[in-house]
This record gives sequence, C-alpha cells and structure tokens, in this order.
Amino acid sequence: MSTTPAFRLGALALGLLAGVELCAAGIENRESKIENSAMVLIPAGVYVPLQRTAKDPAQVAVASFRLDAQPVTNAEFLAFVTAHPKWRRSQVSRLFADSSYLENWASDLEPGPKAPLNAPVVRVSWFAARAYARAAGKRLPTTAEWELAAGAGYTGLDGRNDEALNRDLYAWLARPVPAVLADVGTAKPNFHGARGLHGLVWEWVDDFNTAMVTGESRGDSGLERDLFCGSGSIGANDTGNYAAFMRQALRSSLKGNNTTTSLGFRCAADLPTR
Amino acid sequence: MFGSDLLPIMKNAAVLIALFLVAASVPNVGASLDDARGRPQGTPLQEKACCAATEKPAAPKDACCAAKSAPKPAACCPATPAPAPKACCPAPAKTENPESETENYTKESLYQLEVTFTDDTGKTVALGDLRGRPVVLNMFFASCGYACPLTVTDLLAIQERLPAAQRAQTLFVLVSFDIARDTTEVLAKYRAQRALDGQWVLLRGPDDSVRELAALLGVKYKQEADGMFSHSNLVTILNREGEIVHQRQGLKGGLEEAAAALAAVK
Repeated sequence: MSTTPAFRLGALALGLLAGVELCAAGIENRESKIENSAMVLIPAGVYVPLQRTAKDPAQVAVASFRLDAQPVTNAEFLAFVTAHPKWRRSQVSRLFADSSYLENWASDLEPGPKAPLNAPVVRVSWFAARAYARAAGKRLPTTAEWELAAGAGYTGLDGRNDEALNRDLYAWLARPVPAVLADVGTAKPNFHGARGLHGLVWEWVDDFNTAMVTGESRGDSGLERDLFCGSGSIGANDTGNYAAFMRQALRSSLKGNNTTTSLGFRCAADLPTR
Repeated sequence: MFGSDLLPIMKNAAVLIALFLVAASVPNVGASLDDARGRPQGTPLQEKACCAATEKPAAPKDACCAAKSAPKPAACCPATPAPAPKACCPAPAKTENPESETENYTKESLYQLEVTFTDDTGKTVALGDLRGRPVVLNMFFASCGYACPLTVTDLLAIQERLPAAQRAQTLFVLVSFDIARDTTEVLAKYRAQRALDGQWVLLRGPDDSVRELAALLGVKYKQEADGMFSHSNLVTILNREGEIVHQRQGLKGGLEEAAAALAAVK
C-alpha cells in the first residue's frame, strides 16, 4: 500500500498544478483509491494557537507539508476496509471504534445509499483514521498543520477577513448535519486547493488528545476551570474565531474510539527529504 | 452542526481531566527527537517468526521480510539472537499486522493495540507482553516535578499493601510521554532514585506508541514550550487479559478503590 517515491513526486507536482482535478480522476479509478487521492502543498507558515499557557509560544512554526486535497471518501475507506478486514464494521474492536462506527453504511463492504461513494467518510474513529493513513503511507495532520491549511481563505493565505469564506463557514455551522453528506467535489477549494476543510465535515487531527483546556491547574479549582467552555476563552487570543473554538471544544471532548455523524478525516504527509 | 450523537460526548467532555503543569525547567538533553522516534523493529514474536521461516525454506520471503527481495537467511537469523531484528526486516515503517495474533486477545483487551516500547534496560517490550499479570499502568515523565512523583508514591503504597502472593504477580508499569528526554538511561536512573523493584516496568516509546496508548487509556497530554508536559492523571488497572478493571482519576484519594480493584483481579 505504500506510495512509491516516483508517485510522491508526481502527486506533488500534479497537486501543485492541478491538484483537485487529479482527485476526481482518482475516484474513477476503483482499483487504487488510496494512492490516487491527490495532495496539495501547504507552504510553511505560522500557526497561532487558540489557547496557550504563559509558557507557550505565541506562534508555532509549521514546516511545509502535503495535505489531501479533500477528505477521505467512502469509496476510499471501502478500499481500505476491504484490504484490512480488522477495520470492517463487524470486526473492529470496540476499543478502537465505538458502536456507531460506519453505522451509516449498508454493510461491511457496502456503503450504500446513506454513504455515497464520493461523499466524505464519517463515523470513523481516530484509531481507524490513523490505520488508514498508515496503510496509505501517510499520517494524520497535526492540529497546527490542519489549522494552518484551513486558515487560508478562498483567495488568499489569510482567511480571517475573507467574507465569502466566513459566510459559508458560519452558514455551515448553523445547519444541521444532512442525513446524506454531499460529494467532496461540491466543496469550494481554498487558496491552497484544498476542498472541504470547512463546510463538509469535522476532521480528526493526529494530536487531538493534546487538546485540553490549558492553564495552570495545580489548584483545587483545576477540574472546574478545565471545562472547555468558560475557562477556555480566558486564555484565548482570538475570541472572534468562534469556529476555531468549536473545533477545539470538539477535539477536547473526543476519545480515540469515538465516531460521529459529521467527523471524518484527511491525510497529510511530509515533503520528501532531499 | 454537531450531530445529535455528539452532544453527550461533549457534555462529558474535559470534565474528567486534571491537568498539571509542572514548573521546573530542565534543559533539553538526551536523544534527539529523531532518535527517539525511531521505531523499534521486531518484537520477540517477529524474531521467532523470522527464524522459524528459515526452517521452512518454502516461504522465507513472506514470513521474514515480505516485499523485500532475497533476504539472506544468515542475516535473518544469526547464531546470536540478540541484535537480529533490524537486519532481519528492514521495513521502513511499523508493519501493521491486521490479521495477526490479535484474535487471541479478548474484545476488551488493551493488548490488541500493536505497539512496542523499550524498557530501561533497552529491551523491546510489546504491550501484549504484559499479558498474564495484573497490571497497574500509569503514564508519566521522569522530569515531572509534581504530579508524577506523587502518583509513583501512591503506587508504591498500593504495592506495599498487597498480600505477598499478589505482590509477586502484579506489575507496575510506567510509560513516559517524554520521547525525547526519557532515554533508557534516564529511566534506569529513575528506577534507582525511586527504588523501584523488579515488579516495576519502565517504558519509553516511539511517538506513535505513546500517542496510541494514551488515546486508548483516555490520557490527554501536551508538551509545553518549556519541555514539561501537561497531562491527565489517570492510573489504570488491568486484569490478566489486559482489560481495564479500574481507573483512578486525579491525584487525591481513590487509593482504597484502586487497591480493592487490584485485589479483585483473580
């Protein structure tokens, strides 16, 4: 399942030139879903953590990396569970995926009408997402990487003042999860060419279990203060970024085996070392 | 847009987590991150599979070094078994073995997690190697100045109180978050400092192993800019099959309950 160096270079070049188009082609090729999903290059940048302690840096440098241009689809996940029976719905251990794992699929190897092949896969656990990424020779993005990539607007590197993006983002947050998710192709690509970072599904990050409301908590009030809502905002640097709060809250609330109707993932990879 | 199934999860949320931020500042010494991330190749099990393969010349490639061309049996299974694994299977990444021995474990067994660590003598330890003993499991880091030492003191107290027969059985396992600084030497020193006897297993791991074990236990941790870790305080008691029978949260109290849960492990 591992990608060859030649493919990596190819994917990188194509990703830069025409990333999203290649994905569409990848979906057509039912033989090899994982290898064909295109990646885009996210240039090195700076992630400003939403919350930090006094000892944390205000900014985190993020090296450039590659990120899947779109969330992993049901078709791609089907290829994975076909090759790895341990991750099929009927066989997975409850420790690694809770009882609603792939619940919207018709059966073990049939996504069915509630999970269109080209829609993002949801109801997948962190352990499953990680296993998928490993099988694809990739990994999950870190929080810093994901947020850096998702920080771009439709037209520029900084999406904070991108009105169109923010309108779409908050409209999405306000809508209930549709019973059947839309195809990944329907999401508008951002400046990096990555689709669906906002507006399709929530996504796992590799270090989700670092997301805890942070702060000096040696005192007895620690437990109380560490509830993510109120105390979280105290140390926050960008209180206008409501969506980022929601993502942080979601991450801090999850366990590695949890699955939800709106939580999917995409993979990342390091740039080839010279 | 949280799905309705998300709400109960969110309510439970971070409630259970006690965070600690330890104030000591220790220079970043020890192995580089890259060294620490190196994945131990080859558990004892793999070694066995490897050498067994040479006895059956029919399928040495598959069993020993799948996808690698023409491994020499000599390199695969040298007369001295110790340093074999790397030479045997130079696979670049941890090979996940989806259809492997996991079915031997019970549904709830944490030992289904196929990760390996290194102990304070440099020996590779798969999580499943702990099978067959009652286990008290705690994640920590050696330079922790506040929560971890207290927890170790508590665990020593639990160990002290165990009836002799049970004391001889029970393993106390400490797994470090600090993949960069907690080298085998540092762990060995920690063992000496805290006078931990042979029932204590001190483990360090590659990032993947530590992160997955933490996720499985429900332990959250985060390295701060000064190198210290914020982390949940969670002591987990496993039965002989590796199933969680009890978790003690926080730092205060809960010792009696933990000891009782341990005593109840048959």
